[in-house]
Amino acid sequence: MPYPLGGYMGQILRVDLERKKALAESLPKELALNYLGGTGFAARILFDEIPSGLDPLAPENRLIFATGPLTGTLWPTAGRWAAYAKAPLTGIWGEAHCGGFFGPELKYAGYDMLILQGRAKGPVYLWIDDGTVEIRAAKDLLGRNTAETTDMIRERHGDREIEVACIGQAGERLVRFACIMNNYQDALGRTGLGAVMGSKNLKAVAVRGAKEVTVANDDKFMELVDDAHQRVLKQPQAQQMTKYGTPLLVAYKSKIGEFSTRNHQTGIFEGADKLNADTIRDKYYAKTRSCFVCAIQCKKMNRIQKGKYSGTISGGPEYESIYSLGSNCGIDDFGAVLKANQLCNLYGLDAISAGCVVAWLMECYNRGLITKKQCDGINLRWGNADALLALIERIAFREGIGDLLAQGSPHAARKLGKGTERYVMHVKGMEISGQDGRTHRSVALTHAISVRGADHLRSLVTVDQLGYEETAAKRYGKDKLPEICDPYSEKYKALVVKDAEDAFAIRDSLIVCWYSCGWPPIFWMPDFSAAAAAATGAQEFGKLKNMYRVAERICNLRRAFNVREGLGTKDDKLPDRFTREPMPGGPGKGQVANLDIMLKEYYQLRKWGADGKPTETVLSELGLADVAAELKRLRKL
Amino acid sequence: MARIIYVGDGCTGCKTCSVACVHAHDRAFGLRATRIWVVKGEPLTDYPVVCHQCEKPPCRDACPVGAITKRDNGLVVVDERVCIGCGACVEACPFGVMGMHPTKRVAINCDLCGGAPACVKVCPPSVLKLQVSEAAAQEKRLEGE
Repeated sequence: MPYPLGGYMGQILRVDLERKKALAESLPKELALNYLGGTGFAARILFDEIPSGLDPLAPENRLIFATGPLTGTLWPTAGRWAAYAKAPLTGIWGEAHCGGFFGPELKYAGYDMLILQGRAKGPVYLWIDDGTVEIRAAKDLLGRNTAETTDMIRERHGDREIEVACIGQAGERLVRFACIMNNYQDALGRTGLGAVMGSKNLKAVAVRGAKEVTVANDDKFMELVDDAHQRVLKQPQAQQMTKYGTPLLVAYKSKIGEFSTRNHQTGIFEGADKLNADTIRDKYYAKTRSCFVCAIQCKKMNRIQKGKYSGTISGGPEYESIYSLGSNCGIDDFGAVLKANQLCNLYGLDAISAGCVVAWLMECYNRGLITKKQCDGINLRWGNADALLALIERIAFREGIGDLLAQGSPHAARKLGKGTERYVMHVKGMEISGQDGRTHRSVALTHAISVRGADHLRSLVTVDQLGYEETAAKRYGKDKLPEICDPYSEKYKALVVKDAEDAFAIRDSLIVCWYSCGWPPIFWMPDFSAAAAAATGAQEFGKLKNMYRVAERICNLRRAFNVREGLGTKDDKLPDRFTREPMPGGPGKGQVANLDIMLKEYYQLRKWGADGKPTETVLSELGLADVAAELKRLRKL
Repeated sequence: MARIIYVGDGCTGCKTCSVACVHAHDRAFGLRATRIWVVKGEPLTDYPVVCHQCEKPPCRDACPVGAITKRDNGLVVVDERVCIGCGACVEACPFGVMGMHPTKRVAINCDLCGGAPACVKVCPPSVLKLQVSEAAAQEKRLEGE
């Protein structure tokens, strides 16, 4: 019998690597209706199946690869998928999203979701060929980088169209910010989920599928799809994205003083022109590539033809890598940034955390808090690209000081002491992404409250960062202008962050891309709601109020996962740099983030207590009474 | 006759054409039943391949049961009722663009969607065209103008 809801394949594949068992479970209909897909599914499963206090690298941790009801359809950007687990980097909720082609292929193999548990006795990879699931020996894949691993698996099975998600040397060595790579250039970057794969002795998951996704109301869905494609193709900023990709942000952010530089000391980088979109397009551009069924096509391949890094051809770097491996380390040599990004992809390291760990060490070194000898004799002056590349190697292979850095910067600082802790730019253990709450005020709140640590992607607001007045007026009312778009004001920022977090919980469950939602601002809740209803046939998704209810349920459940681990308002904070050190220069000179005002307002909007915890009433209203009971049982509520 | 031609070199490898092709024929989304393929290679290769609607189709000549015909309108057509799914045409096609439907197990090739190809309509970088070869050649000749 076909699954009663469209868009879903109706099956979850659960693989126990310890017992060498694979079992297809049917997707409970109430899970689909209450949690939609992707992030929603994972929130429910991780809360139910992971005991509080579990070591993220223990065999009992679950690693979930999930899709949503739109994954694999023709909706523009429907190639997205995501991985979830308790995170090795932070010990809390772990989540990372990816483009590429793996997600659709997993669905075509017949599964909405893959749940991995247990630890294999030796190195293995998982081979999913439609209904056939095999756990295969991976001894020869060990020590291979992510590109080699992908090539070897495709060659072994004689099929170039097999999709592979794998770890590199960093994941094998349990680097706490190891990523999972798909399709050579696409990363499930943050929170260290590559280390979870490593801890399970799982080198790769390879998938091939011949099934098809059907939607409930095909005519209506295709009408929405055609309209969505046209809206993307006609949007001027989307056209800019198609030409330049995310490096466009270098110039946008420099304009408001938010191009984070030298471990977030300032938002103005003197070498910004060497790393901006015009320069990259002019000097290094090789080709545009794309994720599965995308009309934005932001993926750029770049090539270095002269100098030290001559011959380097690689995807990206995206804005976040330009920041983390470039400006944040004081490096303005694009060749070095591309090379460093390529190494991160090959070894399987999160490029944001990798760059931030190095930037932190550079600041400590430049302030005389650590010696050259402690750093394996490496000269860590700002801008030293050789030092960055050397440290990436050491981290991936856990050699010398890299072994310490592989634990993430908060842990490394605790070990080194001597005041180095003060310069760690993190929230909840995760290194901060390339924004600055002083000159982009809403992101101060976003970084502080984000469920996976200092993350921008779960609730990044662009109306103040990029000045989208029309969008702000449409989504939140004209009366809130101009303050709502003022990057240097706290006013209305809790409101927009909460709304973005809700909308993105749906985005991350459908699953569609961040590009086309926040930036450029094309799709939002009404579009998600209509697409979800047409795809699944569940009329309740078509009502905006219900969609917000699903979103709030997901946000509260993810938060509850962290509350169960002991988190509360004490953890929703920023490094002093953002709240106490005024921005030293640029258009935002003198600005600091007044986090407490926004935080209080955000808790009120969420109807949470002053302790930052969802109340029993809120949880019960959202159908999460069992979650409240569990938290009470553990005396966490 | 007009067929689907890859114009320029701007394919990005997004496979929107393949998924739209499957949807146009099966009313479902997938890749394996496509009649237009995207070849991807590292680090810089993406290009689409699709039936050339050959004047002397090797697929037709290879078919042991006469299921493939070259119609007067130029289309190379597989009669699914006659096809025995032996794969001889799939092997014979010099471009590798004769497919096998994963569930129906019959040979499939581009049928131009009856004149309004779904792939041409959706291609984000607009690098697919329904065109006769001679017109494509003329456009190339005029490029230097």
